[in-house]
Amino acid sequence: MSTVPPGDIEALVTLFQESGWREMHLQAEGVELFLSKDGTAQFPRAPLAATVAAPSSATAAPAAIPAAPAVAPASPALSAAAASVPDNCVVVRAPSLGTFYRAPKPGAPAFCEVGQAVDADSQLCLIEVMKLFTTVRAGATGKVREICVNDGEMVEFDQPLFVIESHG
Amino acid sequence: MAEPAKRHDRIFVANRGEIALRAIEAAHAMGMETVLGVSAADRDGRGARTAGRAVVLGPAPARDSYLRPELVVHAAVATGCTALHPGYGFLSERPELAEMCASEGIAFVGPTPESIRRVGDKLSARAMAREAGVAMTSGSEAVDTVEEAIEIAAGIGYPVITKASAGGGGRGMAVAHRPEELAEAFDQAVTVAREAFGDGTLFIERYVEVARHLEVQVFGDGVGGVVHFGERDCSIQRRYQKMLEEAPAAVLSQETRERLHMAAVTLLGSIGYRNAGTVEFLYDSRTDEFFFMEVNARIQVEHPVSEMISGTDLVRKQLALATGTAGTLDQADIRFDGHAIEVRIIAEDPDRDFMPSPGRITRWEPPAGPGIRVDSAMEAGAMVPPFYDSMIAKLIVHADSREAAIDRLSAALDNFRVEGIATNIPLLRFIVAHPDFRANAITTRWLETVLLPAFQDSQG
Repeated sequence: MSTVPPGDIEALVTLFQESGWREMHLQAEGVELFLSKDGTAQFPRAPLAATVAAPSSATAAPAAIPAAPAVAPASPALSAAAASVPDNCVVVRAPSLGTFYRAPKPGAPAFCEVGQAVDADSQLCLIEVMKLFTTVRAGATGKVREICVNDGEMVEFDQPLFVIESHG
Repeated sequence: MAEPAKRHDRIFVANRGEIALRAIEAAHAMGMETVLGVSAADRDGRGARTAGRAVVLGPAPARDSYLRPELVVHAAVATGCTALHPGYGFLSERPELAEMCASEGIAFVGPTPESIRRVGDKLSARAMAREAGVAMTSGSEAVDTVEEAIEIAAGIGYPVITKASAGGGGRGMAVAHRPEELAEAFDQAVTVAREAFGDGTLFIERYVEVARHLEVQVFGDGVGGVVHFGERDCSIQRRYQKMLEEAPAAVLSQETRERLHMAAVTLLGSIGYRNAGTVEFLYDSRTDEFFFMEVNARIQVEHPVSEMISGTDLVRKQLALATGTAGTLDQADIRFDGHAIEVRIIAEDPDRDFMPSPGRITRWEPPAGPGIRVDSAMEAGAMVPPFYDSMIAKLIVHADSREAAIDRLSAALDNFRVEGIATNIPLLRFIVAHPDFRANAITTRWLETVLLPAFQDSQG
């Protein structure tokens, strides 16, 4: 269908996110791409080939070509791990490289367990970078379906940490 | 340090592009393991594929990945690395990185944090040079106000140049020929310096108008032994960014050359400098005088020309010193042979005012042959991301003489095929074909005042 590698589209989406542009419309080699930071934006006219809309919500499903939502810095739709989870699930990813801790301190109960109900504000884990701890929150309401990393392991940026199954 | 995992040296490479690949390959050739810290934009690049392991530090923008010392050191510790190579640019001259490495027991492949601080601040470096008796242009201490600047400039004599104490790369630098020009430029230079380096401290130097940029490659063992690997002429610059470098500097007499080397070795010897460093000078060919400019406390982009004429792999030397496997340094062991020239291939369009030209490389055929070396992490299908410096390759040639090196460079540039993005190769070919370049009749202003106008005319 498309001769443009998905990596290029990924790079374009990243560029667009970084830019001060509100909309971007690109047509090349069997691909027509429309990106907008306005979630209600309409594609300007009938698409010629594959269309990538840029949904404003991280859980909206992408169109024909995998592309990141233009407003979310992490791009759940892009990775294989995210693609393999059901539509009603959200993947919580590492905000940076660091050490993954499931509990506030050694020996304390874990922030969450599989099956536990969480809301957007629930603390799921800590990521430690050179003794500085960052709290990672669920960002969605639902229950913990999967914990992808063992306590104390190094995680890389964007690595899946949890899968949250939403009630909706 | 007795854990089995640390039995072998494992090098963390905290950089990207050609220098990351260069450090990885040097380490592998020495039997060391490697880990590369990458941004999300570089996770599929050649560096990531070549390293023993690649870890993603953070998202594509450098401020969230390559410029975060705590992420870099955390990754180095968590992956069991014993040493860290910072490359050039990014965090290479940030004393905090060297300090964090030291406190985690990781050998920093570079100078001590104290040395980085002393030479990194230009005012402190000038004080060091003064104590070591190295010649420099007349200049001031920190200057706070326009009025003060004008008063000091009157004493030094015009033209003068403003410089940021905290940094380099041309930012905060402004040339003034009259007090009105200085008044106009001063506040803006303070603002630029503050934005670029977080410190707006300026000082003023006499501006040497007809000058060449010369520098000496120095290497210290950290306990007082310091040798040099010859000098380089890096006069071909655009907006203080080097575009072509050669070694040796053919403009120098042997007597001046030796004095220049001595000045650099004395300066860095005076602080017991460790690992690779460069001392930069301005050289006035009319009076045969050189003036100390600054010290770069890192391996430099243009180090290959010194390697080619000395037959020394400086990056391996850096790694050997940091991991405690280096032999003693002896100037008598370092011999020079022939002439080397490097050109920087950058993804910028000279026809469109050097607009960066990121994108996907569809064809990548660098030249090859005797006396030709290409340092690059690019390949066909690779993406040149828009987030970083636009240099994509260095083409280095080596031959018996400057003449022969120019001929070899000319042929090599003709055979360098890049498609998919715009590069400065047409401009480099124009430089190399210019009679002034062959006659070595150039200054630091030549590219901007002579060559670029001629190039633009030739493009119609």
